[in-house]
Amino acid sequence: MASLWDHYTVTDAYDEMRGSANQARPSSHRLSNYLDSLDHETLDVRRTAADIAIMEMGITFTVYSDEGNIDRAWPFDIIPRIIENKEWRRVEVGLEQRLKALNCFINDTYNEQSFIKEGLIPEHIIASSANFLKECVGMQPKFGVWANICGSDLVRDKDGTFYVLEDNLRVPSGVSYMIENRVITKKVFPELLQDLDVQPVDDYPAHLLEMLVSIASVDVKNPRIAVLTPGIYNSAYFEHAFLAQQIGAELVEGADLIVQEDDCVYMRTINGLEKVDVIYRRIDDQFLDPDVFRKDSMLGVRGLIRAWKAGNVALANAPGSGVADDKVVYSYVPQMIRYYLNEEPILPNVPTYLCSDPGQLSYVLAHLEELVVKPANESGGYGMLVGPHATKGQVEEFRKIIKAQPRNYIAQPTLALSTCPTLCDNQLEPRHVDLRPFVLQGENSFVTAGGLTRVALKKGSLVVNSSQGGGSKDTWIINTGK
Amino acid sequence: MLSRSAERLYWLARYLERTENTARLLSVYMNLMFDMPMDVEVTWRNLLTIFGAEEEFFQLYDVPNEQNTMRFLLTDIANPGSLFSSLNSAREDIRTSRELMPDEAWQQVNEMYLFAKNNVETATNRRGRVLILNEIMRGCQCFTGFLSGAMSHNDALQFIRLGRNIERADMTTRILDIASIILADDRSDKLRQHENALWMHVLKSLSALLMYRKHRRHRINSGDVLDYLLKDQDFPRSVIHCVNEVETCIKRLQKSEGLNDNLNTLASSLMATDIHRITPAQLHKLLDDIQVKLGITHNQVASTWFLAAN
Repeated sequence: MASLWDHYTVTDAYDEMRGSANQARPSSHRLSNYLDSLDHETLDVRRTAADIAIMEMGITFTVYSDEGNIDRAWPFDIIPRIIENKEWRRVEVGLEQRLKALNCFINDTYNEQSFIKEGLIPEHIIASSANFLKECVGMQPKFGVWANICGSDLVRDKDGTFYVLEDNLRVPSGVSYMIENRVITKKVFPELLQDLDVQPVDDYPAHLLEMLVSIASVDVKNPRIAVLTPGIYNSAYFEHAFLAQQIGAELVEGADLIVQEDDCVYMRTINGLEKVDVIYRRIDDQFLDPDVFRKDSMLGVRGLIRAWKAGNVALANAPGSGVADDKVVYSYVPQMIRYYLNEEPILPNVPTYLCSDPGQLSYVLAHLEELVVKPANESGGYGMLVGPHATKGQVEEFRKIIKAQPRNYIAQPTLALSTCPTLCDNQLEPRHVDLRPFVLQGENSFVTAGGLTRVALKKGSLVVNSSQGGGSKDTWIINTGK
Repeated sequence: MLSRSAERLYWLARYLERTENTARLLSVYMNLMFDMPMDVEVTWRNLLTIFGAEEEFFQLYDVPNEQNTMRFLLTDIANPGSLFSSLNSAREDIRTSRELMPDEAWQQVNEMYLFAKNNVETATNRRGRVLILNEIMRGCQCFTGFLSGAMSHNDALQFIRLGRNIERADMTTRILDIASIILADDRSDKLRQHENALWMHVLKSLSALLMYRKHRRHRINSGDVLDYLLKDQDFPRSVIHCVNEVETCIKRLQKSEGLNDNLNTLASSLMATDIHRITPAQLHKLLDDIQVKLGITHNQVASTWFLAAN
């Protein structure tokens, strides 16, 4: 009988499920066979079931350019991506290590600056970072932790090694989709999840809550927690509402909060003002407080930074955390791990060329066709150049932009990015994926079991962002040990 | 709870109640029209009168025939009072209040919304319309069921009950207002012949037929129906019952001192009225007065608890 896998072509890239000879990897054996036992029609039925569940559960995201259609169904591929548990344990430790070092660095940056004084990172890199906030100098958040929630993007290269591509320390999103993806998979492949030892992912909200409680000021017994959202027009509004619901917090907008003369934050309730102790904010630094940052911000709360500095409210992530969410600073993370933790980095960085360095800049300009060029401070996959996929005109345009603002750009080799079987027109085809695990740090650290796998649905594409035609997959950390 | 959330839940409940009531009224009215002889003076246009939407209708359509009135009241998004518009608003309110209620409640509203969106076309024929209306009525009941099974009787629920009952009382008065047309002194003999059928449909449109029969135990007549739907303390859609519910909700919330004075006046004057001896004109004025007082209570609720208040 013809097999579903007969037409599957493994490319040069590392495939998550199939080896180079198109044989199932040990961890994916069961899934591979199971999929093979389904015919095309059944696959299609399951896919349709997933689509309907997504619509009915209202799992949506928003695309900025889509006027009039503010929420779109979450693009989901039903074929899960599998990672072996032993391999994952190592990644988990590596991620905790990384976030610890990053937090030491942020705390150092806003206090002693020993890292700079000892010449490990040039001062001008910090001084010129758009995310360095001088208003935060001298602050010491609880446990010395600034970035309490981090979403790191991991990719695998050809040989299967996991690399950290970037650390999102501002307002990383996607964790709600990770949880909902599992809910959908349970509906679509219930028989499969029963047979395999797949780690659950829905404990994240409990850990998030524990972390948020831990960062409240010591003299607050039963802290009141709020999730601060920019509102329903934000692309991640679904997630803000989801998380607030999951942790039993209030979902607030800027207009719901007020800072009084006692430098405390209150929310406007039906019974008058009530004090708020911890804010999980999903608003960018620049919009947090019109008294301190952008004056025209309608989203923030006047006096919020004053209240934070007075120690009356904890903000997660702390303002200014973004100083480490800069692709130039990123290139120094391995050094940070050695310097602050006195450990060797467990997870490697992707080699990074800094355009601010004249020597590296000339290399970048000479090899634009092979490199990926990214702005140092953008997120969402905007404003980047993928050399091998770009037209001559685009390359030349980038050459001009980089020359004009070298500090704002970095370049990296074009990684092959691993592939994963994905249902395309009822056939399984390899599509490139990345992985965004979520890391928490407060009193304790926590890493999600797996994370959000994002998949570039277009053949050959390396862009996985949902705002640019990417989809997502459920990610299974699977125990194959006897 | 947040003032903003209170306001959203209140409106969510109002819009959903409006959705359900609209579905029920359209469904019953369709049945009534099938039963009436062609030349009797009950028309599709009367339906527009009940909704107070004649002016808006004629801005969008020429002829108040079945097709146009149904489209206008059911699927037309250009009409802010149409069933689909109410459902859209309800969905938007619950989408932004998901952290306050059971997940099933949100999914229920979302499913109804998707169902409506996917079935706009089928609403053009009578059969398709009946199916849609049934599905909507059922969906609204499911929503109420999810809440009653899984939601604490907390402040959030009080605002939902408030919105629901204010809207419900308002709708009952609107439906009864059509009685002033039915009872008009110059009504034709033909209409007089069908009067009882009309009253039966009024009861049906408020899901009150069975309970009316059980409690009044004699044949349907205008005085009894009016009395029942205005003054019965136990029936959930009677005006006095809704008013009592609103009063109870208000009492359970903080900062409610004096807020019930308006409703107390309303309740006592309603209970003191002898409905059996009322003239059509007096009835019209009574219903008008109830609507005005409900409006006052709405404003008081908004200025006491909603975001604009503090």
